[in-house]
Amino acid sequence: MTTLIIIDQAPYGSWEGREALDMAFSLAAFDQPVSLLFCGPGVNWLRKGQDAAGVQQKSVEKNLAAAPIFGVEALLADRAACEQYGLDQNSLLDQVTLADPGPELTARFDHVAFAG
Amino acid sequence: MALKTLHILNKSPEHSRFQLCLSAMGPEDGLLLIENGVLAVAQAPENLETLERAQCFALGPDLEARGLTVRPGRFQSVSFEQMVELTATAENVISW
Repeated sequence: MTTLIIIDQAPYGSWEGREALDMAFSLAAFDQPVSLLFCGPGVNWLRKGQDAAGVQQKSVEKNLAAAPIFGVEALLADRAACEQYGLDQNSLLDQVTLADPGPELTARFDHVAFAG
Repeated sequence: MALKTLHILNKSPEHSRFQLCLSAMGPEDGLLLIENGVLAVAQAPENLETLERAQCFALGPDLEARGLTVRPGRFQSVSFEQMVELTATAENVISW
């Protein structure tokens, strides 16, 4: 059983994304295959160089660095949204793969769930 | 010169209230991006063309959290203290 969790909300402005991340990490920790897809403003989760100390939060960049440790299979980023937000391979976190959301992508998973 | 209205915008550019805010801005108004609103500085400058004359600010700690920096010219990065000063000196404040 494979799961795709989609985060389509910007980081830091709300807690929904972090909850989805916990869900993904929990699935992975119990050996359930899971991948994350970041869409729309959600691609801003994946920018290098985040420092959230000034807003009294933990950087989601550090959170995401734990994804491979928990066994999350892939961090996928919506290609078009990355272009909109000026994100390229240099400014994206290293483990990110660009993807084009659509029927071919979701067909690869048994379950697709959204954050929030 | 004091701003007529300071528009404080905390919505990401996809949010319907983002465009609504931009279209409500007058020539003597200022725009202050905070929280998710600061993501607009990562987008193509054409998206903010309507702001040609307005003074534009973005909250520094929110930029840093998201790994962003402002391009010189259009936006000025401000601290929490400067944000307080802006709200105190503007004639009106609208929080979008």
